[in-house]
Amino acid sequence: MAQALIDLLRETHPDAVVSSHSHKGDEVAVVRREKLQEVCRFLKEDPRADLKLLAQIAAVDLLTYSTESTGGAALASIEVPAYDLARKPAVEPRFQVAYNLGSVARKHRLRLRVELRSDDLKLPSVTGIWRTADWWERYVYDMFGVEFVGHPNLTRIMLYPEFVGFPLRKDYPVRKRQLLIPELDFPDLVRGPGPGPGGAGVPMSQTHVGRKNVDPTTYD
Amino acid sequence: MSRLPVWKPEGNVPESLHLPQEQTLPVMLTRRDEALGWFESKLSGALGWARANSLFQYPFVTACCGMEYMSVMAGRYDLARFGAEFPRFTPRQADLLMIVGTINVKQSPVLKRVYDQMCEPKWVMAFGVCASSGGFYDNYATLQGADRIIPVDVYVPGCPPRPEQVLDGLKILQEKIQSQRHQAHSVERAPDAPELEKKKTSFLGKLLAR
Repeated sequence: MAQALIDLLRETHPDAVVSSHSHKGDEVAVVRREKLQEVCRFLKEDPRADLKLLAQIAAVDLLTYSTESTGGAALASIEVPAYDLARKPAVEPRFQVAYNLGSVARKHRLRLRVELRSDDLKLPSVTGIWRTADWWERYVYDMFGVEFVGHPNLTRIMLYPEFVGFPLRKDYPVRKRQLLIPELDFPDLVRGPGPGPGGAGVPMSQTHVGRKNVDPTTYD
Repeated sequence: MSRLPVWKPEGNVPESLHLPQEQTLPVMLTRRDEALGWFESKLSGALGWARANSLFQYPFVTACCGMEYMSVMAGRYDLARFGAEFPRFTPRQADLLMIVGTINVKQSPVLKRVYDQMCEPKWVMAFGVCASSGGFYDNYATLQGADRIIPVDVYVPGCPPRPEQVLDGLKILQEKIQSQRHQAHSVERAPDAPELEKKKTSFLGKLLAR
């Protein structure tokens, strides 16, 4: 449907598009990181593309994509990560960030995709092009730790600032908890042994995030 | 009153293995102690009856169980029939904290604070599996049951629970409140202020000048 868009993009920015494909009616163009802002601005402002709507920015962690039978998802019942990370070959580029763009007036849509290596997790921010990218980029930063260079306020949007790590990465321990207040001291009879609080020798009282200047026994 | 078998804290030990209470505690009964015990039991019954049938609730509604909570409160099931009439939207006026829905880690300090603001005596009901155990949200963001941070008196399972289950949980809680025993000469323990220990007697203790 939007093959004309990809043709247009290849015509005007021949060095920006790495590859392109169509999957079940959705056209995807993989673009270079250096050209992302230029491509986005062109796609928004050119009347042939007119992609004024940024519907979503999403990220994918491919660490276990090809090795796990579950398609990369870890099983919730299994301990810190369900796979032995040291034995698996490193997947590079490990992360993908997808920009789902749409045009209400012209009734077509396009997905831009950028591939990122895990040792250089940086992307140019597109907040200057679509204002809604502000919250989406904070979301991707919150869950995956992708740094958006040029973002005006790159802080966590859903999790609390005391949270350490990025929970949707595949090497984040499945049952790790980072509580804000100490838990009552009792054995976890329901969940059983495991790396979570109350199991495998982790005392319940040691499972909260240590705050620097706040006494954990007072909450006011 | 004994409509349902309540799980005993010591487990299901058969009656024949119970130690008789009289032989384990040295007890010297006088006429005065007897009279006091009779008075205690009558007063406990009266207090328990009053407290069990006038539960003001604080609904801490965070998720979809709230729809079921509305159903329990509304006409067909009508929790008010059982004495839990008023939802109070300040914890300082509430006796029963109903935790209705999933509790996030980010939310848990707020819940703890609400609980701390309630006046004694206070009770807590975990409404639905998310409040009881985290439910199927076994992930980084969800508190695995409200009893991780505050003590819970009664757990109502279900996703969401049927209104009948909530009524049943309320009846069990009322049974617990009714069976609580108040002692005439109990002293409230304040670990940091032992000098207050003799002054802080209960209402009935003051009445009897003990």
